[in-house]
Order: sequence, then structure tokens, then C-alpha cells
Amino acid sequence: MIVPFSHVLMLAGILFLLGMFCAVARRNLIMIVLGVEIMLNAASIAFVGASVRWQSLEGQSFVLFILAVAATEVSVGLAIIVYAFRRTGSFDPGAYNILR
Amino acid sequence: MTIFWTEDATLLAAILATLLPFVSFVLIMVLTRARPRLSAGLSIVAVTVSLGCALFLLVRHWNLQRPIQYTGRWLASTSVEIPFGFLLDPVSLLMLVVVAGICFLVQVYSLGYMAGDYGFSRYYAFMSLFAWAMLNLTLSPTILQLYIFWELVGLSSYLLIGFWYEKFSATQAGKKAFVMTRAGDVAFFLGLLTVLVHLGNFNILEMNGPQAVAHMSPAILTLSALLVFGGIVGKSAQFPLMTWLPDAMEGPTPVSALLHSATMVAAGVYLFARLFPFFSLSPTAMTVFLAIGTISMLLASTMAMVDRDIKKVWAYSTISQLGFMIMALAAGGYFAGAFHLTTHAGFKALLFLCSGLFIHCHGTNDIYELANHQCRRQRIPTICLLIAAAALSGLPPLSGFFSKEAIMAALAGLSNPVWLAAGLLGVFMTAYYAFRVIFVISFPKPPAKGSESRPDSSASGHDGSHLPPEYCVMAWPLIILALITVLLGFFESPLKHFLVGRLIAGEAHESGALALVPYLALALSVAGVGLAWIEFGRRGAARVGFVERIPPLHKLFAERWYIDDFYRLFVDRVIDRGISTLFYENDNKVIDGGIDGMCKGTVEGGRIVALLNSGMIQYRLLVTFAVMVLLSLYFFF
Amino acid sequence: MQVTYAGFPYLSAILLCCVVGLLVIIFIPEERKTLIRWVSAIFSGITLVLSAYLFFAYDKSLGGLQFVERFQWVPSLGIHYFNAADGFNLPNLFLTGIVFFTGVLTMWGLEMRVKEFYALYFLLVAGVFGLFMSMDLFFIFIWYDVSLFPMYLLIAIWGSTRKEYGAMKLTLYLLAGSALILPAIIYLFAKSGLNTFDIVSLMQPGIFSSDQQKFAFPLLYLGFGILAGVWPFHTWSPVGHVAAPTGVSMVHAGVLMKIGAFGVLRVAIFLCPEGWKYWAELMAFLAAAGIIYGALVGLRQTDLKYVIGYSSVSHMGIVGLGLSTVTAEGLNGAVFQMFAHGVMTALLFSSVGYIYDRTHTKMIPELGGLSRIMPVASAYFIVGALASMGVPGLANFWGELMVFIAAIRVYPVRGIVAVLALVVTALFMLRVVQKTFYGPRHERYAQLPDISFYESIPRMILILVLVLFGLYPSLLVDLIQTASIPFMSGLPR
Repeated sequence: MIVPFSHVLMLAGILFLLGMFCAVARRNLIMIVLGVEIMLNAASIAFVGASVRWQSLEGQSFVLFILAVAATEVSVGLAIIVYAFRRTGSFDPGAYNILR
Repeated sequence: MTIFWTEDATLLAAILATLLPFVSFVLIMVLTRARPRLSAGLSIVAVTVSLGCALFLLVRHWNLQRPIQYTGRWLASTSVEIPFGFLLDPVSLLMLVVVAGICFLVQVYSLGYMAGDYGFSRYYAFMSLFAWAMLNLTLSPTILQLYIFWELVGLSSYLLIGFWYEKFSATQAGKKAFVMTRAGDVAFFLGLLTVLVHLGNFNILEMNGPQAVAHMSPAILTLSALLVFGGIVGKSAQFPLMTWLPDAMEGPTPVSALLHSATMVAAGVYLFARLFPFFSLSPTAMTVFLAIGTISMLLASTMAMVDRDIKKVWAYSTISQLGFMIMALAAGGYFAGAFHLTTHAGFKALLFLCSGLFIHCHGTNDIYELANHQCRRQRIPTICLLIAAAALSGLPPLSGFFSKEAIMAALAGLSNPVWLAAGLLGVFMTAYYAFRVIFVISFPKPPAKGSESRPDSSASGHDGSHLPPEYCVMAWPLIILALITVLLGFFESPLKHFLVGRLIAGEAHESGALALVPYLALALSVAGVGLAWIEFGRRGAARVGFVERIPPLHKLFAERWYIDDFYRLFVDRVIDRGISTLFYENDNKVIDGGIDGMCKGTVEGGRIVALLNSGMIQYRLLVTFAVMVLLSLYFFF
Repeated sequence: MQVTYAGFPYLSAILLCCVVGLLVIIFIPEERKTLIRWVSAIFSGITLVLSAYLFFAYDKSLGGLQFVERFQWVPSLGIHYFNAADGFNLPNLFLTGIVFFTGVLTMWGLEMRVKEFYALYFLLVAGVFGLFMSMDLFFIFIWYDVSLFPMYLLIAIWGSTRKEYGAMKLTLYLLAGSALILPAIIYLFAKSGLNTFDIVSLMQPGIFSSDQQKFAFPLLYLGFGILAGVWPFHTWSPVGHVAAPTGVSMVHAGVLMKIGAFGVLRVAIFLCPEGWKYWAELMAFLAAAGIIYGALVGLRQTDLKYVIGYSSVSHMGIVGLGLSTVTAEGLNGAVFQMFAHGVMTALLFSSVGYIYDRTHTKMIPELGGLSRIMPVASAYFIVGALASMGVPGLANFWGELMVFIAAIRVYPVRGIVAVLALVVTALFMLRVVQKTFYGPRHERYAQLPDISFYESIPRMILILVLVLFGLYPSLLVDLIQTASIPFMSGLPR
């Protein structure tokens, strides 16, 4: 491998943490979706690195699946956000606490 | 229970004597409340039959050699057997006659005294209740049965003292009487439990017999004697539980005559006589009893010397005379105590009934006002009052003289002369206060203002010449009692033989200096009468007693030696505001506070945890991630 | 132990009366209030007759468990529908019948939501009856909870002073008690190795080790004891009494608290005698504390029902003291006192109920001079107060006497404290009587009618029972002894 596998994993991990941070600490619903996207991408990187490490194609096929699912999920998520915005008029997740 | 219909006339008489008043009570309370005359009739019939049976039993068993006992099973709980029955021995037969007789006379008297009262039926119902309880108390074979009827006697006393319940002072007095006697009864109860634990049963004959010594150590004997005596202190109004009796004068006068002079308070002395052999086993206890009797006797005499209310004077006198009886019994004079009990019942009831007649006619209890109402004009009560007071003071040839003489003889037999001295002092004071009342009533102060109006003849407006219609019915019992007072003294010998003939006649005749005692006592009585005459009876007398000239003494006696104040303070500060409030606050603040706090804590904790689950999505996400990280750490490391 | 099967299932008949009565009431429309009342009276009267019959028909010479009905319910878990009558629960069954019938009659004047009230009332008493007659641990627990939840509704809807708070406190407290009982029951079930909830099998000696008993007993004692008003877990009781409507107070103080004490007897003492002996000292201390504490706090109360509530705490302490003596006399006294106190407290609440209906106040400072206005109604309360003070001639005296006799022998100091409480009880009861009934009459109440004959019937029944057993206590004690003596002698030393 050109790049040591541990480096790939580290990159994936850091990206995952960044995505987690973005999902949890930002006060905007769209940023939460963004963060989820970043986490998904981080997982994909880990999968690709693994497929190169163990020389098998299942990893990369799984990444294709992830991309497809991510696209679907983002569209559904944005649809929900649009609807939620129409109902409450705010992008702030703090406004959605009527389940207290 | 043993079969009701029996050929045994004694048993039948005993059952009838004790059961009929109860039947009368139930019938009056349930059925005849609305018909006063019928109620009174029922009650009087019942008590008349009781009296008849009592006399029958006394006459039939005049030469009783051994006590007769009938028992049936009342309650059996594993090792404890509680029988119900009757014990007939000389002292109980005598007391039975005394109680039934006085009940009868008082109930007849009440026909006149209570006529027209709103609660006439209720009065006779409670009178029957009392008669039932007291008669059963007299014949109890076990100390537990005695305790049961002792409590019931206390109950009827409460009901009768507070009879005019719309008056606050009356209900207050009733409550005080009950609670004070209850305090004494608690000691009594503990005493009888102690006896049970050590002796195994409650039987009086066994307590008086050799089994007591066999099963109970001297310390336990003394302890149980002292505890049982606690009940006597309560019921017979001795020091320190004496202040309920003067307050009990709030009840109608016949009630005072019956309960609080002749019978109920005498139940304590009766118990003493009953258990005389048992108490005698413990010399320490006897000395304590002697001391308590002496203190009560002296204290009450001092209080009687300054009071203006005629009933209260006789109430203090009762306490004092009961003290005398207890002194006599504690000194070993069984007959003296029992005989004085009998004679006292007679003349004290007479005193109260005469006073009651005056009160009924003139509407006031105060001796000075009664004098102003010329109550001397009513011959029969005045003469009877005089006879009774003379008997109380111990003047011959009345019954009181013989019984006082017997008491002095018993006291003289003691080694320590202090008791005899106290007794003699008591004799002097008794004569003084008794005749103080007589002279004040009989010789009214000539009206200084010259006005003929009587401002407080509020109740009836009667002077001596107009007699109320019920006068006759009230006068007959007075005459009968006066006759008894005069004649009873001459029966001393046969009674003595009846009561103690079997027992060791330990009262050897005195010799030497001790033979002077009766004369000394008589001299002191006469001296007391004389002093009262000088202060109150003479024409132009100042009508102020020597005690009243010493204000601190006067205050001390009038305030009942501050015993009442002590009790009031105790109940108020220690119990009401002290312990009770402490526990109340404890309940509210500590226990309830703790529980409410726990509840609040739970709710608050829930709120806090709910924050994690509240609508904010990101907190949930955070929690999810954190848990995931921790789990992964756990599983992989 | 001697087991005699029933010819006719009287015990189930009692339960059936309650259930059938409940169903019939549910189907009657709300408007026909008189019909509902009569139906309730008839069904409760039948339970009274049946329980009285059982009380007198029990064969004392034979002893043991009689009128037994036993069927397998869930064989794999060892649950049986097992009803029996013995000297311990027959007085309580009789008591429940009496209180039930008189309670129904006392609530005759209720106008609001009559149907639901009587339906819940029947459910409540069904639970009580069931617990008393059941000899299966599982059923005991079920009946405990069945009798618990109607209390909440009854108090919260028909109650008075602070009813929501009272209802909530009572229910939560008693549920906490059951939360202590359930683990103990399961623990016993698991440790016995017999796969049965049947008390008769579980109480055989040698099934539970000493340590197991010492562990299980306090859980059961506290769990049931909370219901019995053991100090210091008693504060739900006065609040609940005050908040509840009259008939519910009668059942609550008269019978529900006895379930607690009876539970201690039937479950804790029967199954864990070693634990009983071990913890008896503590039981005695708590009981004596409760007796004197209840009396002293009662002194400070200004609401009639609070007074009765605290006196209940005090009297249930006497029951607890009897149970803690580990002697047959103590058991006799405790069960007798359960019966006597139940009747007496039902009488007191019934009388207060009448007064409250007429004067619309329970606060003592506002009342006064009632004896002149309504003498008969006052007399009922006064008789109840006298019973509470332990005046001989009424049944409570004998219960207290037997307990004190047993207690003084075993725990002298605690016994003396308990006896001293007699004075305090007399003081506060007489004070209450004086302030409420004696004294000059309030003009405000001067026009109130006295109690009518028909309204008197339940109170007269209660007084009759008190006087009957007060004058003739062996009727009851002989019955109790058929159970207590064999039980105590059968215990391993």
C-alpha cells in the first residue's frame, strides 16, 4: 500500500469525529445532516482503505451502497427539514423540544 | 357462668342485688328516656330490691366463719383464667349494705332534688349504672373484677359530675376527675399485673393468704402494694391526687352525697380493707400509706378551714376523713378503719343531703349567703346538720365518736407518737371547721346596712317559711340517716365481732398513758367546737377565723397548697406545649417532611433525567455517541 | 395442621357476593339511586350473615383450618386458589362483614355518583375479604393490591379535606409497602424449593433456614406494617382518614389497617418464626413508640377525624405490641384488639360522619354543645370515645388487657410505657368530647335534627357488638385460642 493502513484509519477516525462534532454542536438542522454526511464519508474512507489492505472488492462495493443510501437519506432528511421549518419557522433544534 | 336459677338463696340474692341496677340502667337508656317518672321508678325499685337482698345476706350470714365464693368462667386466655363471681365475707357484706342503703336513700332524695330537671331520666340511668358498678365492686372475688368495676364507677362518676354539661366548669371537673383517677388507676393496673405475673392469678383470697408470701419476694410485695395503693390514692382523693374531689362538687348534691362522700371514694378504703392482709405483709408500704394518709388528712383539714362554699368544705372533710381511715388501716387497725368507713358514710351523706336541701331552697352554696337567707328556720335539715357535724367532730354519743375513738386507739398503738399527734391535731381541726360552718349558717350576721332585700335569692325566692313541695320527699332520708348516725355507735361491739371475730384480735386494751387518749381526743374536739363558737357563734363575734387573720396562710390554704397550679403547669407546659407539640412537629416536619422531600427529590430527579430525553435532538445524539464510544472501548480493550 | 374441607363453599360465597353485587350495581343506571343503595345493602347484608355464620359455626373442638376450598390455579407456578377459616381470620372476616354492612348503611345519604361509589366500595371490600380468607401467598398479594387501588379513587373523588393529597399519599405509601412485600414473597418462593405459594406447605418447620427467615421477616413486617400503621411509617393514615368519605374511613381504619396486622401474622409470623423471635424486640419498641406517640400527637389535633386517626395509630400499636410478645396470650390479645378496634373505630367514624353531614364541619373549635341539640348522635360518639379509652364493658378493654398482660411479662419497660398511654388517651378523648359535645350550644347548630331511627341502625349494630364482646369476651377469645395455642406450641423452640 502506498499509504499505511493505520494512516487511513486515522484519517477516517478524525473525519468521523469532526462529523460527530458537527452533528452535535451546531445549532442548525442542515448542519446536522451535513455532519451525518461527513460521518458517512468517513466510514466510506475506512472501507476503501480496508479493501485495499485486504485486496478484496467487497469494501468498495459497500462504499457504493453507502453513497446511494446517503443520497436517499439526505433527500428525505431535507424534505423533513423543509416541512419542519414550515411548521415551526426555525432551523434551531432547540425549537423541537415539545417531547419534554 | 353458673346457672341462674339456683336453690341457693345466697347466690340468688347476690345476683339480684348486683344485676338489677344494670337492667334498670339499660332499660332507662334505651326505652324510658322520655318518661322521667317511670325511669325514676325503675331505678328506685331496682335499688330497693338490692337493698333488700343486701340486708338479707347480712342477716343470714351474720355468723360467717369462712368466706363464701361463687365463680364462673368469664375469660380464659392460655395461662390466664379470669373468673367472674362473688365473694361474700364480713367486710363485703357490710359494705354491700352501706352502699345499697345510701344509694336507696339518695335516689329517694333525688326525686325531690332533681325534680323538673331536663335530664331527669338520664340522671337515674347513671345512678343505676353507678349502683351496679359499686355493688359489683364490693362483691368482687378477684382483683381484676374489682378493677373493672372500679373503672366503671369512675365512669359513672364522670357522667354524673358533668351531668349539667352545658356548664363548662362541670364538664371540666368531670374530665379532671376521670383523668386524675385514671392516673391512679394506671398504677393500680400495673400493680395487679405485677401480682398476676408473680402469683399466677388475680384471686383476692389467695392474695390475702399464704400463697402470696410463697410466690412473691418482699421487694415484689412492696412494689405491688405501692402500685395498688396508687389506685387508692386516685380514687379516694389522697395526696397528691386530691384536687379533683373539691371540683367534683359541680355535680348535683345527691351525687356528691352518694359518690363523693359515702361510697365511691370509700371504694379506695374498701380496697385497702379488702387486701388488708396482703398490704400488711409489707411494713414499708404500710408506713408509706400512713404518711400519705396523714398528709392528706392534715392538708385537707386546712383547706376546709377557709372555704366559703358549703359543699367544698364537706368535700375537703371527706378527703380528710378518708385520710383518717387510711391512717387507721395502715396502723393496723382493721376494725377502726372499716367502722369509720361505715359511720362516715352515714353522717357525711347526711351532711351533704342537708346542705343540698338548703342549696335547693335558697339557690346558693355560700355559707354566709345561706345564713342571710335564714335557712335556720328549716328545722329538720338544721337539726340533722347539727347531728351530722357533731358526729363528724367526734362528739358522744354519736357514731362518729365511737369510730374516732377506735382510730385514735389504733394510732396510739404505734411506736412513733408523731402519727398520734397528727391524728389529734386532725381531730381538733375537724371539729373547728365543721362547727365553723354550723355557726356561720345558724347565726346570720345582723344586717349592717339595714336592708331587707336579698339580692341573690335568684333561684326560688324562698325564705324559711315557704317550703317547696318536694320538701317532704327530701326530708325523710335526712331523718333516717340522722337516726342511723345516732344509733350506729352503739352497735360497735357486735360489728367488731362480726368483722374481726375470726382474726387475731390484736388490739389489746391500752393501759397507762394510752388510756388517756380517748379523753384527750374528746377534749380536743370540744376545744375545736369552742374555738369555732368564739370566732363565729357568739353574738357580736367577728366571724373571721384565726387562719383568715394570717393572710399568707389563708392564701396557701385557699389555693389548695398550689397543688392544682402544679398540675395545670405540668399538663400545660410539659405535656401540651412540650412533648405533644414536639411529636406533632416531628410528625409534620420530620416524617412528613422527609417523605414529601423524597417525593420532591424523585420528581426533580426525573426532571433532570428527562432533560436527556427532552425534545432537543442533539442531546440525544450526544448520549448515543457517548454510549457507543464507551461500549466500543469496553469491548475492544 | 388439621384441614377440613368445606361442604358448601361459604368463603367463596362471600367473595361471590361482593363480585356479583359489584356487577349488578354496574348495570343499574345512575338515576335509580335508591335501588343501588338497596342492592348494596342486601349484598353486604348477605356477606354479614355468611361471615357471622362462619364465626359461630366454626368447630372449636376440632380446630385447624375449616371451610377449606383448594383448587390449583397455575400448576406450573404452584399457585392455588386456597381459602380457609381458622381462629385468626374468622374474627377479621366477621369484622369485615360488620363494617361493610354498617358502612353501606352509613353512606345512605350520598348523592353524588352513587353507582360508582358503591361499585368501588364493593371492589375494595372484595379485596379485603379475599386477603383475610386466602392461604396462598400469591393471592394474598393480589388481594392486597385489589383493595388498594379503589381507595385512591374513592378518596380522590368523594373525599373532603385535602383529598387529592391524601389519596396520593395513601396509595403511594401503601404501594411502597407492597414493593417491600413482593420481593420477600418471591424470595421465599424461590428459597423454599417447593415451587408453591401455599402457606400451609411453606410453614412446615425446616423449610427455611434461620438466616433466610431473619432476612425475609423485616421486609414482610415493614411492608405489611406500613399498612398497619407501624411507627414511624404511619403518617399516611391520619391524612387518609381525614380525606376519605365516612364509609371509606370506616373500612380504612376498621379493616384495611387490620389487613396489615393480619398480613404480618399470616405471612411474616407463620412463615418466618425464627425471624419473628429475632426481630421481636424491635417490633415491641416500634409498637410501644406508636402507642404513646399516637396518643400524644392526638392531643394537639383540632379536626375530629384527625383525632380518631391518631387514636387509631395508637391502638394499632397495641396490636403490634401483642404480636411482638411471641406468646399465645399476646396473639390472643392482638387479634381481639384487631376486632374490637375495628368495630370501635367504625363507630367513631360513623358518628363523626353524621355530625359532619349536619354541621358541615369537622373542626373542633367550630363545634360545641352538640349533646343538647342531638343527644342520641352525640351518645354514639361518646360511647366510641369510652371504648377508645379502654373502659370495661366494651370490647376494647379485653383486647388491651390481654396485650398488656402479655407485654408486661416479656417487655416490662415498654409495657409500662404502653399502659401510661391510657392516661393520655383518656385526656385527649375527654377533651374532644368536652369541646365538641358539652358546653353551651352554638346557635348556629340549634336547629339541626337529631339522628333518626333508621340512620341509627348501623351505629346501634356497632355498639351492640362492642357491648356483646365487652361483657362476654370468651365468645371471641375461645375462637382465637383454637388457632393461637396450637400455633405457638407447634413452633420449634
